[in-house]
Amino acid sequence: MQDNNKVKEYDALVIGAGIAGGEAALNLANVGNRVLLIDKDLTVGGKMIMLSKVFPTLDCSACITTPKVSEIARHSLITTLTSTEASDIVQKDNGTFEALITTQPRYVHIEDCTGCQLCEEACPVNVEDEYQYGLVGRKAAFIPFSIASPRAAAIDIENCTLCGACERACPTNCIDFTQTVEKFMIECKTVIVATGFQLFDPTLIPRYGYGRFKNVITSMQMERQLAPTRPFNTVLRPSDGKIPDNIAYVLCTGSRDKTVGTPICSQVCCMYSTKQAQLLMGALPMADITLYFLHIRAFGKGFNEFYAQAQSMGVEYVKGKVAKITEKEDGNLILRYEDISTGKVTETEHDMVVLSVGILPNQGITGLFKNRKLELDQFNYISQSNPLESPATTSIKGVFVAGVASAPMDIPDSILSAGAASSEAANYIRQLSVKQVEV
Amino acid sequence: MAKINPKFTDELKKYGAFDTNACYNCGHCTAVCSLSTEEDSFPREMVRFSVLGLEDELKTSLKPWLCYYCGECSQTCPRQAFPGELMMTLRRWLTAQYDWTKLSGLLYKSLPLSITFFILVIAAVLGYSWHENFNIEKIMHVGHYFEMFAIAGVFALIILPNIIRMWYLTIIKAGVKVKAIDYIYKFWDLLVHMFTQKRALGCDDNQVRWFEHLILVIGYLSLLFTTVALDWFGTSSKFIIYLGYAESALIFIVTFIFMYERIKKSKELSSHAHPSDWFFVIWLFLMGLTAFIVRIFIDTDLITNNLWIYLVHLIVLVQWALIIVPFGKWTHFLYRSFAMYFDALKKDQV
Repeated sequence: MQDNNKVKEYDALVIGAGIAGGEAALNLANVGNRVLLIDKDLTVGGKMIMLSKVFPTLDCSACITTPKVSEIARHSLITTLTSTEASDIVQKDNGTFEALITTQPRYVHIEDCTGCQLCEEACPVNVEDEYQYGLVGRKAAFIPFSIASPRAAAIDIENCTLCGACERACPTNCIDFTQTVEKFMIECKTVIVATGFQLFDPTLIPRYGYGRFKNVITSMQMERQLAPTRPFNTVLRPSDGKIPDNIAYVLCTGSRDKTVGTPICSQVCCMYSTKQAQLLMGALPMADITLYFLHIRAFGKGFNEFYAQAQSMGVEYVKGKVAKITEKEDGNLILRYEDISTGKVTETEHDMVVLSVGILPNQGITGLFKNRKLELDQFNYISQSNPLESPATTSIKGVFVAGVASAPMDIPDSILSAGAASSEAANYIRQLSVKQVEV
Repeated sequence: MAKINPKFTDELKKYGAFDTNACYNCGHCTAVCSLSTEEDSFPREMVRFSVLGLEDELKTSLKPWLCYYCGECSQTCPRQAFPGELMMTLRRWLTAQYDWTKLSGLLYKSLPLSITFFILVIAAVLGYSWHENFNIEKIMHVGHYFEMFAIAGVFALIILPNIIRMWYLTIIKAGVKVKAIDYIYKFWDLLVHMFTQKRALGCDDNQVRWFEHLILVIGYLSLLFTTVALDWFGTSSKFIIYLGYAESALIFIVTFIFMYERIKKSKELSSHAHPSDWFFVIWLFLMGLTAFIVRIFIDTDLITNNLWIYLVHLIVLVQWALIIVPFGKWTHFLYRSFAMYFDALKKDQV
């Protein structure tokens, strides 16, 4: 782990340790570059590590992510810092960069923590578990999730009562409440921005009742219920713990909707919803699954076959955008939509509704750069200055973009994008060492 | 086979529609609409007909009249295609289709032409007054008779034929097999909707607006009755005088609120107002206000030396009776009520 006395000089700074940033870091390190990989979260792995399976192959998502994550953790040329953000990035005249790295205190010495979870048992504080998307609770002293990396405890200081129970329970004395914010400067030759995305907040569409109606959940919450590390070990609806048998999906929640400021397609919702529908067919064989869609976009290799497979399994696809959801006394939900195949307003009852939320660009990335401007496109993703010939290049020479930070895309495309970004970055590092680069 | 006419939306745009082609056919507007039902699902169908230019389907449809423009569809349309505005536009377009004189369409499409007509009326009223040597008694007398004749004439020559045309298009041409007796049975629906517009209550959070409308309709009809049948300007009955004051005040106060909302653009339905909407509300306001002032002038014996105020009132009245009532938004009130009547016939057809 990080040794504060080491010279803080790297070949590449990779911001964001999701699948795109992790892949880019590995590619760069594997050709001999020293990489600093940072993530603002407590763990690397990003959103992919939280997923159940991937479409259209139904491979286990964690089984793809975890080997990569442990390769990152063990790689001699990769330094990984969690709870860490970069700022004040300045490009010098010779084309290299300087950046301020800020690490928030975890209140745990990662290198000493064995992941025994005794602190979790001792901690008296219960709060909502953000890594399970609010489906269950966690303690204020906690390991983010079982396959987190580093698999080390962290103290949620905002909710901590400072009772000291975890400190007394810890067999290795790794809990340290004296930790403070650490700031230091680094020098690097290139920067890869792989800051990923946010999920659309469905409370912005009050007609869907998310947050008011207990049995309206997001697709990420359903993803957690289907994942191998799922909280309930089955699929339950939140209001009464009943196993649902008639589940509806509302597609394009926060995508292709100008009224919520997201005019574009999120590219993944049709397929992840289709995937979840297939998984639900397996998990709950008696359940009816209905997907309310505008247009099914099954554009990738094997996608259309995957869609056809879901239909042949009995997943029902209904064309029509759901406009209103109302809750019945028993917690069931009534969806009102126009069935486009009949042209009639229709109301249908379901016992659980999954909102297939779209993806949004992460904000605030441009503010990290001081003397150069990282341009955004009209949808607030990082602008690709040459999207056809060199898709990873940005408006700053030497700064490259990987994954969803540049546009909505699925996992294979993110990995491809990371490949492009890392080869462009390696090329840039090489150019810097052999000749003068004009910036 | 229906013939597609892609240029139709260009024609509709002259009546006020927005980028209807932006629609991606999701049906959100229909589902979010609180008046849309399984039997009568709109507005998406109307959007499709408009985009495809299926004029016959539009002409024979009653659905544009079933919409009371609460604006929720426009506010929530993911493509911002403004379906509510399209429904309003289709009502204007349908008014032009029903009108045998074709003047409605010309006035809707051309603001300069509308202004020209208004100016012509001013010239005619002033010209006539000049011809009568600005004799106040004579002019007020003729003004009173003008009201009666204008109502009868406009009704017989314009409105009745146009309603018959509407009936022909939406019942006969649409192939509705009406039970003859239903014309009598369902007549009550017509009267109820005409006087209460109660369907507007089906729109969510619309109670205040419906109440304002109701007051306006009652105020307008009773002022009409008070001035025409009870001769408000000529009467000496205290009761009638105060009744007229109350009615005209009611009209200009409620229309003032409407105008204020339009200017503030605080409601979706007000934010895309067409000139014809403005004419309607402004003239109604002016009618109420000028009538009120004229009667004040009469009561304070100022009228003999202030003929101009009566002339202003007469000009507003004639413009209202000859332009806005037969060819403007006023007819929407009738067509709407008849649409409810015809729709009731349709639902009960053989």
